[in-house]
Amino acid sequence: MANMNLYSRGDKGFVIANMILIGLFALSTLYPFIYIASMSLSSGFAAQAGTVVLTPVDLTVAAYGKVLSEPQFWISYRNTFIYTIGGTVMSLIIIIPGAYALSRPQLYGRRFWNLMVAFTMWFNAGLIPFFLNMRDLHLLDSYFGIIIAFACNAFNIILLRNFFESIPSSFEEAARMDGANDFQVLRKVYVPLSKPAIATVTLFCIVARWNGFFWAMVLLQDENKIPLQVYLRHVITELSDDEQFAATLIDAPYSVDTVTAAIVVCSIIPVLLIYPFVQKYFNKGILLGGVKE
Amino acid sequence: MSSVVLEKIVKKYGAFEVVHGIDLEIAAKEFVVLVGPSGCGKSTTLRMIAGLEEISGGTLTIGDRVMNRVAPKDRDVAMVFQNYALYPHLSVSENIAFGLRIRKVKKEQIAESVADVAGILGLTDYLDRRPADLSGGQRQRVAMGRAIVRHPEVFLFDEPLSNLDAKLRTQMRAEIKRLHKRLGVTSVYVTHDQVEAMTLADRIVVMCDGRIEQIGTPMDLFNNPINTFVAGFIGSPPMNQIDAKLTYDDKGPLADIDGVAVRLPALPELKHNEGRKIVVGMRPEHMSITPIDDASELPVTLDLIETLGSEALLHTMVAGKPFVAKAETNGKALALEDVTSLRIAAKEIKVFDGETGMAFGHPGTA
Amino acid sequence: MEHRTTRLNRIADHLRANWQIYVLLAPTIIWFIVFLYRPMYGLQIAFKDYSVFRGIDGSPWIGFEHFHTLFGSDQFIRALKNTVIISMLTLLFGFPMPIILALMFNEVLNQTYKKTVQTVVYLPHFISTVIISGIVITAFSPSSGVVNTVLDWFGFDKIYFLTKPEWFRPIFIGSGIWQEAGFSSIVFLAAIAGVNPSLYESAVVDGASRWQMMWKITIPSIMPTIIIMLIIRIGNLLEVGFEMIILLYQPATYQTADVVNTYIYRQGLQVGQYDLAAAAGLFNAVVAFVLVMTANTISKRYSRTSLW
Repeated sequence: MANMNLYSRGDKGFVIANMILIGLFALSTLYPFIYIASMSLSSGFAAQAGTVVLTPVDLTVAAYGKVLSEPQFWISYRNTFIYTIGGTVMSLIIIIPGAYALSRPQLYGRRFWNLMVAFTMWFNAGLIPFFLNMRDLHLLDSYFGIIIAFACNAFNIILLRNFFESIPSSFEEAARMDGANDFQVLRKVYVPLSKPAIATVTLFCIVARWNGFFWAMVLLQDENKIPLQVYLRHVITELSDDEQFAATLIDAPYSVDTVTAAIVVCSIIPVLLIYPFVQKYFNKGILLGGVKE
Repeated sequence: MSSVVLEKIVKKYGAFEVVHGIDLEIAAKEFVVLVGPSGCGKSTTLRMIAGLEEISGGTLTIGDRVMNRVAPKDRDVAMVFQNYALYPHLSVSENIAFGLRIRKVKKEQIAESVADVAGILGLTDYLDRRPADLSGGQRQRVAMGRAIVRHPEVFLFDEPLSNLDAKLRTQMRAEIKRLHKRLGVTSVYVTHDQVEAMTLADRIVVMCDGRIEQIGTPMDLFNNPINTFVAGFIGSPPMNQIDAKLTYDDKGPLADIDGVAVRLPALPELKHNEGRKIVVGMRPEHMSITPIDDASELPVTLDLIETLGSEALLHTMVAGKPFVAKAETNGKALALEDVTSLRIAAKEIKVFDGETGMAFGHPGTA
Repeated sequence: MEHRTTRLNRIADHLRANWQIYVLLAPTIIWFIVFLYRPMYGLQIAFKDYSVFRGIDGSPWIGFEHFHTLFGSDQFIRALKNTVIISMLTLLFGFPMPIILALMFNEVLNQTYKKTVQTVVYLPHFISTVIISGIVITAFSPSSGVVNTVLDWFGFDKIYFLTKPEWFRPIFIGSGIWQEAGFSSIVFLAAIAGVNPSLYESAVVDGASRWQMMWKITIPSIMPTIIIMLIIRIGNLLEVGFEMIILLYQPATYQTADVVNTYIYRQGLQVGQYDLAAAAGLFNAVVAFVLVMTANTISKRYSRTSLW
């Protein structure tokens, strides 16, 4: 479809108009990021006056200075790393073997086990029973609780299981005739053959962990254990009512808005850093794995 | 090297039986080819020998051990898969060494074995490459290398050449044959291609619908097919089969094909069966466009000629049905109007029962 | 030697050969039981007068009392209504966007340009709801927000958007489209990629314009995907992004913003009426289950492939 000469003049107009439109859409997607970055680099006064629209006004990094000097920022940043790394590793430890087992034709009760997993996509007990269950398990306010309770889900298991099922059985059979057992087949054949699918699942886990906030907010009271998103939420929704903070604002080169913007930027940066590595998997169609069996 | 013996081997999926009690004895060092149309149970049989499919009934013996409940890895057999099953993340040498590594063979010994096998298969220069960087023929060789390196008692081949183009297939066919001569390992080979079966096999096993139709040497099957199925399956182009009625004159039996009388071989079984429905089998190779002694003449309408070079295929109609003959060209193009009839000697004609399809006068049934 | 396979023999053989699969499966199954099926057992408190001290098993049964309370409560009815309205509006405005985007992407000939734009529009999907709520709150802030600054330029009065009930839904749905439209277009792009190129080639030979090809070839070809995605969306109709609502709403906007899940969150986790909130959750889950099952049945009929 690349040869422009194939098309008439009207087509060229159509193609160019389309390019402009879609470019505008991309710019409007990008704008909020630019806006928030500019806000974080503007002075509190300029922000308050509503003069920040596109570029920073009265360029200053004061808001970042404020954010980075808060101990709670560093504590929650560290916690987010703990939850993200611990949670992702835990997810892979559970999901990879589970998906492999569920993909084996020789598994007794395979239909039952698969249904048991899939059923949770259609029906779940809801917020309250889940919360009470966590409390009864003594997993409130616990690093381990957060890491284990969200380690698995039907979607990721099914995605990986479908990929495993698509691997020709002769790979497994050849390994088996060579003397490999299931542990070896999984480790030496299926895992290396499934790198793209495992990378996708890993990516989903990392993003979910990095961004997860609701259950962390509900399950964690101890400020030493809250992740960045929960801290961020506190800053965004409660900072303007925080009298202690309000007191520091007098004559300060930052405002509630610039501090909020700065902390938003700080938490987006890691996402932007891994984004290019992740992006190459998008078009491989593997994301569709969960949509269609 | 070990023999492989199948006694009344049955395969069922639930209540559905796909292999109906097969008996087959494969001698040590023998090369046996299982051939048949898809769905005939040949692959399932091979996979039961490999241990990849559970055996539902009967006994499988390799060497002197009953193998029914032995895991694939303990049967001392190696298999070459249709899609080769080469691990894309491993190099050629790692692929060949995979089985030895799993079995925890010593490193130096692995290196030595891999070098040996690579030498035999001409892969020495490719040991560090990934399968993706190899040609189809080279991949095929790696797949064989992986089987050879373990020095198994039995080789199993599951349509190993079907992913190759025609030219490579011919070449690899010869190579497999050479390899078998050199190593002398008992081999069971599955294919749906009768040419492969003919060229490779010491003995061919023709299967259909989960049963063995006939076992024999390639020439045996070609010359004495036991029934119309084998007759139609072995040989290329296949044997022409024409419905006819059995009649007699004073010289012996004749086939009445839409009013044309064709002399049949004087088989004892053909006596006293006036009017019986029969199928007359005539190989394209046995048809002649020039007069020959003691032959019946079959009037034909020529439809089209496919020239292959030294010979040509004549597509004709006999009694309203397609009929193929092969003729020597002697380097000259044949003209359609040159051919109005075909001739065949009585001794070359096969006669089958019109009802059961079984051959009359077959050495195995006489 | 005759070989016999009895049932016991076969199970023993099976386990001897395959025990490792069950070891590999165990963590997954245990996890599902502990974290997803145990709460289902706890759902019984929807029919009980639950008290923390007596526990789930010790609390007395009270039948459907909580459901009576719920359906007699203006707040719950309002939440139910809001849920349906918000999800309908999201469907109406949010569903066509990814399709339009995918069609537009398909018409971009320059691959570098296409890749760049895609990279940009996929990005918001990876940003957390908290951050998006932060951006929304900052941008719509009455004094410093850019939206009010621009309104001011054109001589309009400043509006405190997030306290105005009539503005909540547009802001919520708009931010949802901003976040997901680009990423959701991947499914449709994949469907478009699956269209046989010779269809376009023969259309070009027949003198069709790109506009005609889009309507006569691309859209009909991806119609099955569109319908399946629509069915999935209808199946998930009750799944309003309540985390975002929790972050954006305030008492002043409850009348248009409060949905079933936020209601459950407040009644259960903030007020501590676990049993009543669990009843609301059960109602939600059952309706959602029926919707999903219906959607799946329809999709099976339509496409002969089930969604799972």
